[in-house]
Amino acid sequence: MNDARGWRVALVPDVLMNAPDRARAALPDVLHILEANRYGILQLPAAGEHSLLLAVIADQAAEYSHHGYAVVAIGVQGESGNGLHWRRLAPLLRHRGVALPPRHIIRPQIKATIEAQRLTAFLTGYDLPLEEQRRWRL
Amino acid sequence: MHKPKTVMEHSSPRKVALLASCLLNQNAKVCQGAHYPGVVSPVVEALRSRGYLLQQLPCPELAFAGARRWWAVYEQYDTPAYRAHCRRLAQAIAPLIEQYLRHGAEVILIGLDGSPSTGVRFTSSQPDWGGRPNRPEDDWEIVPRRGIWIEELEAELARRGLPPLPATGWALDMGRFDEAGARRDLEEFLDDREKGDSGEDAAAP
Repeated sequence: MNDARGWRVALVPDVLMNAPDRARAALPDVLHILEANRYGILQLPAAGEHSLLLAVIADQAAEYSHHGYAVVAIGVQGESGNGLHWRRLAPLLRHRGVALPPRHIIRPQIKATIEAQRLTAFLTGYDLPLEEQRRWRL
Repeated sequence: MHKPKTVMEHSSPRKVALLASCLLNQNAKVCQGAHYPGVVSPVVEALRSRGYLLQQLPCPELAFAGARRWWAVYEQYDTPAYRAHCRRLAQAIAPLIEQYLRHGAEVILIGLDGSPSTGVRFTSSQPDWGGRPNRPEDDWEIVPRRGIWIEELEAELARRGLPPLPATGWALDMGRFDEAGARRDLEEFLDDREKGDSGEDAAAP
């Protein structure tokens, strides 16, 4: 049986998953871009406490990072912590022995088509070293 | 209480779809179980085109048994330790769901039919599975029952006094995946919601 997984996972803020009506035109369609680039999503909640949920998300991100998956984070300029809860998420990841994933920040004040191109370039340009890929991706 | 920002800021009718983790991330699937590279686009398209906001649920199997876990059926995951793990995940996501409901959003649940954890209408069953994993292909059964994770999530929502959620499953783990059939099923469920017909909803399978 074949397996179609893309071996790539992106941490994505809620605001990029569910852009408010007023912001939709200013943001690239991140879901579509991730899908086109074979990425899966780990959705981060909107601003708020969410301590237990962030720990649960960190557990999942760690499992991917430790087993051959490329993990990245996509934030948004102007959102608290770029929408990534970074001040709390980063220590949770470090505590689980995870190197912090590379971050790409969307700039809502820049034209959405340009930001879409920047995001695509970031996503296609990142992966684990070949020897790590060979080790895990059978 | 913090208000869920995106629901509060949306001017259109507030509709939220809770999604099994692997519907947004097929990397969560057990080895040989991924049918898409990442996002299950037919599900996302069907929901977004009808104005649903998306809320991903955690993946219980990934965090419990790992990315390189063996295939398993309902009976193997039906243990006190796995149920306790699922209850912890439910307690992590339930406050968000509660906020959506308390602010008047219509919340639905899309699980993964056939999954031992995330099945809504159906789960996989084979009471004699165990030991060395050398089972012949397709020797498990599909039975009408919730998966363990969905059972525990619904129990947590009930403990909070929340109403049962209308729910259905994307039939990815039913042995033979039929995308066109799964898409028809999902669209029928969503369109019945639009028409005010509860369709196959929160009632137990």
